Amino acid sequence: MDAKQLKQFLHTEGATLVGVGDVTKALPKEIVHLNRGIAIAVNRNLTRETVDQLVRLQTLAEGWLKANGHRSLSIPPDSDRRKDKLITKLYKLFCHKTAATCSGLGWIGKNGLIINEQYGSKLTWATVLTDAPLGPDKPYISSRCGDCDLCVKHCPSGAVQGHLWSLRNPLMEMVSYDKCRSLKSGRTALKGKPNCGFCVTVCPYSRNGGARK
Amino acid sequence: MADETRKKEILDKLRNGVIQYDEDACREGAQEAIAEGLDANEAIFDGLVSGMEEVGRLFEAQEYFVPEILMCADALYAGLEILKPHCKQMDLGVKGSVVIGTVEGDVHDIGKNLVKMMFDVAGFTVYDLGRDVPLDKFVEEQLKTDSELVCLSAMMTTSMVGMPKVIEKIKEKNPNCMIMIGGAPTSKELADKWGADGYAEDASNALKEAIKMVAFLKKLRDEKAQKK
Ligand code: B12
Ligand code: SF4
Ligand code: SF4
Repeated sequence: MDAKQLKQFLHTEGATLVGVGDVTKALPKEIVHLNRGIAIAVNRNLTRETVDQLVRLQTLAEGWLKANGHRSLSIPPDSDRRKDKLITKLYKLFCHKTAATCSGLGWIGKNGLIINEQYGSKLTWATVLTDAPLGPDKPYISSRCGDCDLCVKHCPSGAVQGHLWSLRNPLMEMVSYDKCRSLKSGRTALKGKPNCGFCVTVCPYSRNGGARK
Repeated sequence: MADETRKKEILDKLRNGVIQYDEDACREGAQEAIAEGLDANEAIFDGLVSGMEEVGRLFEAQEYFVPEILMCADALYAGLEILKPHCKQMDLGVKGSVVIGTVEGDVHDIGKNLVKMMFDVAGFTVYDLGRDVPLDKFVEEQLKTDSELVCLSAMMTTSMVGMPKVIEKIKEKNPNCMIMIGGAPTSKELADKWGADGYAEDASNALKEAIKMVAFLKKLRDEKAQKK
């Protein structure tokens, strides 16, 4: 099944990137049949409007898949904040980074985030899992960070460890999230805003889109 | 009061809303039911729950999988929330309460939580002890709440060995209490060997069991109505 039509459709509706990944290896038993992950990204910060926009795109993708006779499950961009329904319990069974690497839209950088060649990690992601046999894109199997270690040097909480990610050990802990989190809660107390995100802004890929190529 | 055709229309809307996991349809159907004077209990059981029974069949036939079941249950809840305040208290003759938890030494609780949710949907009162639960706590809680069902979950071969101890203690104090075990390393054979009354291979199978229980509740109600 060709994914071109679906991709085009989502692009015209405002998606910055759309990819299809074979995510079989990352699926728990409850959802093994949904072995294609459609990764959707928009070139915006994670805000209320961004979430709404991505959810709209997911709903459109689901409609398209259903009309073609297939099942789907959307993992919303803010999956960790949704707790109001039963289906939300399944969200933690799958993470956006997996769909993104499997569909060749990015690798996991030393900063633990999805790095896209063109946009760096300045993207917000959503995933639609489906059983439609869409032809998958070519996955990333290793990091392209190379010798760069800007995010390691600049992280104010020393959370970024500096490992090179590879599909051989995809779940390796890249970032000490406790450190990152405690920095954020400290800032929230101080400024009322949790924002840090140095690891995003300092990355050359995020700054001038693929200039390191 | 709505006439028979209209009543059937509303019940179908509730039923199909659940089957097609359409929360809005369930809400709309529930509001119409109230506005047009339908009995709330009837709307729940002949509308929403009857839809969930069909969902159980679709699940059995492998047309639906776990995500669909959960979305259907969400739709059922959406309708239920509106109908429940209008319900007459029902005496079903069973209390329907269950103690559930993951045994000592084990912190896996996704499967347990799925099972718990289905008990919620089935209208059971659930006493969730959480994960890594000391064995004696199950026994205590069962006695305290007089629940007719205890569900034990374990995902590791090292933690499941605590199960027979709990089963023995509960059966000793309360032979009528039913015990169900589940989780990846357990099996039908182990359940039999340890004297458990039920076994569910994984969350999906436990879901099936729980859906059967919803159907059971409905049957009880129907029988009761017939006697009247
Ligand atoms: C919880 C969470 C956090 C928590 C903790 C993170 C954690 N992992 O514990 C905190 C609050 C610290 C956090 C911080 C931030 N977060 Co955050 N967060 C999430 C959230 C909701 C869940 C992540 C999670 O726990 N996943 C489970 C773990 C096990 O997986 P993971 O580490 O995410 O991913 C691994 C696997 O995918 C695996 N993998 C990759 N490919 C493959 C392939 C196969 C076959 C397999 C098996 C596995 C595999 O490798 C990954 C890395 O180890 C996601 C949204 C989502 N649902 O995914 C956003 C998300 C990851 N966060 C995001 C962002 C932007 C941030 C911040 C920059 C926010 C900010 N401005 O402060 C910081 C950056 C910190 C950092 N350097 O990572 C974005 C990342 C976008 C991007 N370009 O990568 C996401 C995707 C949100 C989104 N919708 O866009 N976050
Ligand atoms: S958000 Fe800030 S503290 Fe957290 S990893 Fe990135 S740079 Fe470090
Ligand atoms: S700053 Fe450098 S090391 Fe860090 S993620 Fe970007 S490219 Fe990789």
